[in-house]
Amino acid sequence: MSILLVLTVLPLLSIGVCYFVPSRKVQYIISLFAAIAHLVCSYLVFSGICIPAENDFIRFDALSKLFLLILSHVYFWVVLVSYSYLNRPLIVKEEKSKKLYFMMLNVYLFANTLALISNHLGMFWVAAETTTLSIAPLIYYYRDKESLEAMWKYLFLVSVGIAFAFIGFLFLALSAGGTALEGQQLLITSFTRSAAQLNPIWLKASFIFVFVGLSTKIGIAPMHPGDIDATSNAPSPVAALMSGSLRGTALMGVLRIYQIMVRTGTADFARTIMIIGGLFSLFVAFVFMFKVTNYKRMLAYSSIEHLGLITLGIGTGGIAFAGAMLHTVFNSLTKVVLFLTAGNIHRAYRSREVNSVWNVLQAMPWTGWLFLFGFFSIIAMPPFGIFFSELMIFQGLLTKPLLLAAVLFFLFFIFVGMSKTVFHMLYTAPSVEQTTIISEKFEITHFASLTLLVLLIALGLCMPAQLCDIVGQISKDFGIIL
Amino acid sequence: MENVLSILFCLTLLYLVITSRLKTYVSILRAQGVLLSAIMVFPFLHHLSVHILIIPLMSLVIKAIVIPRFINKIIIDLDVHRIVEPSIQPFNFLLLIVASMSTIFVAAHVLSGYTPIEPIPFASAFSAIVTGIFLIIFRKKLIIHVIGFLILENGIFLFGTSVAAEMPTIVELGSMLDVFVVVFLMGIAINKISSTFAKQDVTVLGRLKD
Repeated sequence: MSILLVLTVLPLLSIGVCYFVPSRKVQYIISLFAAIAHLVCSYLVFSGICIPAENDFIRFDALSKLFLLILSHVYFWVVLVSYSYLNRPLIVKEEKSKKLYFMMLNVYLFANTLALISNHLGMFWVAAETTTLSIAPLIYYYRDKESLEAMWKYLFLVSVGIAFAFIGFLFLALSAGGTALEGQQLLITSFTRSAAQLNPIWLKASFIFVFVGLSTKIGIAPMHPGDIDATSNAPSPVAALMSGSLRGTALMGVLRIYQIMVRTGTADFARTIMIIGGLFSLFVAFVFMFKVTNYKRMLAYSSIEHLGLITLGIGTGGIAFAGAMLHTVFNSLTKVVLFLTAGNIHRAYRSREVNSVWNVLQAMPWTGWLFLFGFFSIIAMPPFGIFFSELMIFQGLLTKPLLLAAVLFFLFFIFVGMSKTVFHMLYTAPSVEQTTIISEKFEITHFASLTLLVLLIALGLCMPAQLCDIVGQISKDFGIIL
Repeated sequence: MENVLSILFCLTLLYLVITSRLKTYVSILRAQGVLLSAIMVFPFLHHLSVHILIIPLMSLVIKAIVIPRFINKIIIDLDVHRIVEPSIQPFNFLLLIVASMSTIFVAAHVLSGYTPIEPIPFASAFSAIVTGIFLIIFRKKLIIHVIGFLILENGIFLFGTSVAAEMPTIVELGSMLDVFVVVFLMGIAINKISSTFAKQDVTVLGRLKD
């Protein structure tokens, strides 16, 4: 019980403090404390040291444990760097946004935690919608025309999307017509247990609505545009939070329905839909990677690519499913590194356009090198973890050679497109009228990025037994024997 | 009785399609809020209790009073032009909606043979969802997009009552609160959009693309 209190009540208390105390430093300290406590608790639950109490509405299964740890990890680093981020002098208009910043982060943590541990689909829906509401004001942080448009689009598209997901959940309730579950609560455990009796047609309809609806939040093409605009215009820590944990939470909703479907004859239908969605996302990332002129949008498209790959892995099943779970972990951590360093570049060059950025490696050696290594990690270069998780996904795809060929084709050209942009930013020598700026000091964002990169290598080289066990357990829950 | 109320609900949708005054849109939202609350109360009319009344009352307050007032306030504060500017001929729009509704009603009738659904509330709910989406697609003003979203939400709400999925009170309240906050945030965003850009319609939102 105490663990549950720390995970949910502490962020709530922290929201209260942030609302009433105007001092930003106090807000930061309280939020950081909540983040650390959340991280410790998530780790205790993840490693099985503490077994929290469960009831009909709250459940800590292997999937929740993994996603909860990802959330607290990403959240901790984001909060850690936020204070120094807020102290950067950039534009005056932000002052108003800063007042809300930590409070909204805490609302985000609370809602997201609730979404991840909920066993009731209605509760999941409410919590997932609340995460959107908490993140929307944060997207409008810079208070300029672009961020306003991004916030409107994100809020509108995701709200409509999530409304569709709700229709999907109601279809799930319809699928229970004539069984013992009719008129009962939408509990994932009871639906999973009696999955075989559910009406397959409604179950399929439910999956389509949930998948399409939540795609707006996960960033699966063709529902991705709101997500791209929001991620690229939000301040870097918020973008890291969105790419690192929010997409995962939405993915969880899809996984929950899929978890019910794997026990029925409709599993193949869900897999096909996920493979199509994943492949189309890769295609979209491949097309736009050559078109983007804004490096934060490039990173957002990279998120589309990786979430597409994860969905594809889940749809493929077998070893690819386990690979997809590991990929979720590695992708989240890498995105934090990339967005934080991109934020440093944005601060120094005051532009998100690739053509306005040059010679980063010399001008900002810490940021430049960390960005470069973050890039190496995201393109799955060994020994970073993503290399191994992608390898697992490819191994799973070996049974479908044509699909594997298409995936490799897209990934190769995404790699080419992304390298072109990244190397342009890092190496291009300044022209006569462009003067290179400042040398930089070692900051907390560098510390965070460095630690995460080391962690990514360590996780790639020697995977902890606990992580393997949890991924094994999740696979088992989804009917996959590794 | 639910069937009669659901049909009334459908008629409000048709009225929504042909009207060109912004004020009528808000009145329709109000009427739908009242109808939805009534639909929720009717099955329990003979054994009313405080517990049963919480959700319909909340929905009445939020959907029929608070949200329409808030939208009215935005329309007055921003001095939004009171006539709707459609991007489709009203008659064509009506045809489209009637065709969709007929398809939905026939489909619901066919489906009710296989699954235990109430065809009329089910079809009315889906008609509202479709009308909401069409409003978002075929209208330019952002405030009407918000109204379209609310019509869609009303449809889902009606669908929820027709499916009889058991939701804990706290979840129902949470979902209503969420919808209210979404509308509140959208209202603030429209306010900002109107002070940042010259107009409050979708044509100004085209800066972000690749």
